[in-house]
Amino acid sequence: MSNTEETRTEFHQLMDEVRGDLVRMSGLVTEGISTVTQALLGNDIGLADQISSGDDEIDLLSVEAEEKCVRMLALQQPVAVDLRTILTDLRMISEIERSGDLVANIAKGIGRLQGVELDPRLRGLLDRMSEQALRLTSRAMDSYLDRDAGLASALSDLDDRLDELHNDFIETVFSSRNDRLITTQQAVQLAVIGRFYERIGDHAVNVGERVQYLVNGELPEHKGAQRARARREQGDVS
Amino acid sequence: MKVEEESPRIDVETAVLSMTEDQVGESDAKSASTVFEVSQLNVYYGDFCALRDVNLDVTQSEVTAFIGPSGCGKSTFLRCFNRMNDLIETARVEGQVRYHGVDLYQSEVDAVEVRRRIGMVFQKPNPFPKSIYDNIAFGPRIAGAKKSELDDIVERSLQRAALWDEVRDRLSDPAYGLSGGQQQRLCIARAIAVEPDVVLMDEPCSALDPIATARIEELIAELKTDYTIVIVTHNMQQAARISDRTAFFSVQVTDAGRRTGELVELGATEHIFTNPDDPRTEAYITGRVG
Repeated sequence: MSNTEETRTEFHQLMDEVRGDLVRMSGLVTEGISTVTQALLGNDIGLADQISSGDDEIDLLSVEAEEKCVRMLALQQPVAVDLRTILTDLRMISEIERSGDLVANIAKGIGRLQGVELDPRLRGLLDRMSEQALRLTSRAMDSYLDRDAGLASALSDLDDRLDELHNDFIETVFSSRNDRLITTQQAVQLAVIGRFYERIGDHAVNVGERVQYLVNGELPEHKGAQRARARREQGDVS
Repeated sequence: MKVEEESPRIDVETAVLSMTEDQVGESDAKSASTVFEVSQLNVYYGDFCALRDVNLDVTQSEVTAFIGPSGCGKSTFLRCFNRMNDLIETARVEGQVRYHGVDLYQSEVDAVEVRRRIGMVFQKPNPFPKSIYDNIAFGPRIAGAKKSELDDIVERSLQRAALWDEVRDRLSDPAYGLSGGQQQRLCIARAIAVEPDVVLMDEPCSALDPIATARIEELIAELKTDYTIVIVTHNMQQAARISDRTAFFSVQVTDAGRRTGELVELGATEHIFTNPDDPRTEAYITGRVG
């Protein structure tokens, strides 16, 4: 077609704004992961307290981005790639906002660990889990910005590495408890913090699945959904 | 002077009926449900090619929508389905439009019979300057319906077009007294009064307000159980709402500034509006091409 004049520029500008909101949200999360780990390993309560204000900013951006998506759905009747982008944006807002909450949860956990001298093995694993969670979050955003379905699908492999680190971390927490290096309460607290890092990775994988939908138009098949569909088709609705 | 023998005329209905009896059993499911098969269709106005190389099937009891920018040939294409282009002196059609297997452009095919089986509703409501009753009875009368049958045909057609309750007490009033939306439903009732197989609609809601438009859309959804519907619309959301399949037409502009239409993509409407295959379709429906 020879005529390439763009129409609906206002609508497309609003879509760009939401993309910018998501980039800022994701940037705050990655910054938060790095800072909260620094606070955790440095036993820095003051730094941990600052992190919750970063979470407020993520919450505000998520509300604003969602409002823009609702406005576009109500007023612009998006179709094709525009529709897929807005649906992806809405899902990503939730995923990234939740990752921000997890960072804030880690910060709150630091207070409960006050005074604990962490074993070097635990420190090393926390550092590596943090790096991996940060890498996953930032790669998920790269896959969205570059519309890179290959990178998006590779996130689950990256997440497997984080899961392995998490397993190692839990085992190390238990052995530290058995060696009476930490109390039971501290062991539970550390296990919960480890779980928060691991969950950040899961949210990045979810973002990757939505990016694959954005690029290919195919919703991710979940194993549980496949099983339920098969049961439904067999007439077993119990 | 040599007198040429007149070609034998093919009765489309007979052809269709004979195909139904003899051939449907042998043909696969797809061809049994295919109403139109268009192949390598070109339409010219004089030496200007308005539509190039269109290949497309229309399926029975479905709504097929044509969308595309102005000048892409979608209305020209619609008129090929009931030979309305015959009425334009300079128009010339090449290629094939097969209707239940019968090539509509064979010289032996009776264009009037084609238009009875393949009715049309236009952009602006165009009732005859007659009563509501006579608008509906006009076609059946010409087709030879008995007077005793007409009341029933009129009532049934108006009911089918969701207009009966609004006009049952004033059937002898002039049709021009109806609102625009009612007039358009009257035209749909008139089109279906002769029991067509297909109803072609050329932007049937473009002159109507949103409520009247919604009523026509609802009517289309009801009618598709009995009729195959092909609709041209400028309103993409309308195509998305009412059609089962959507065809996107585009325009190629030559160096000399002439515009030739072409079919870019035909697919399930949900597919076209969520994840079209062709980037030109995506660009058009998302407004990235003016």
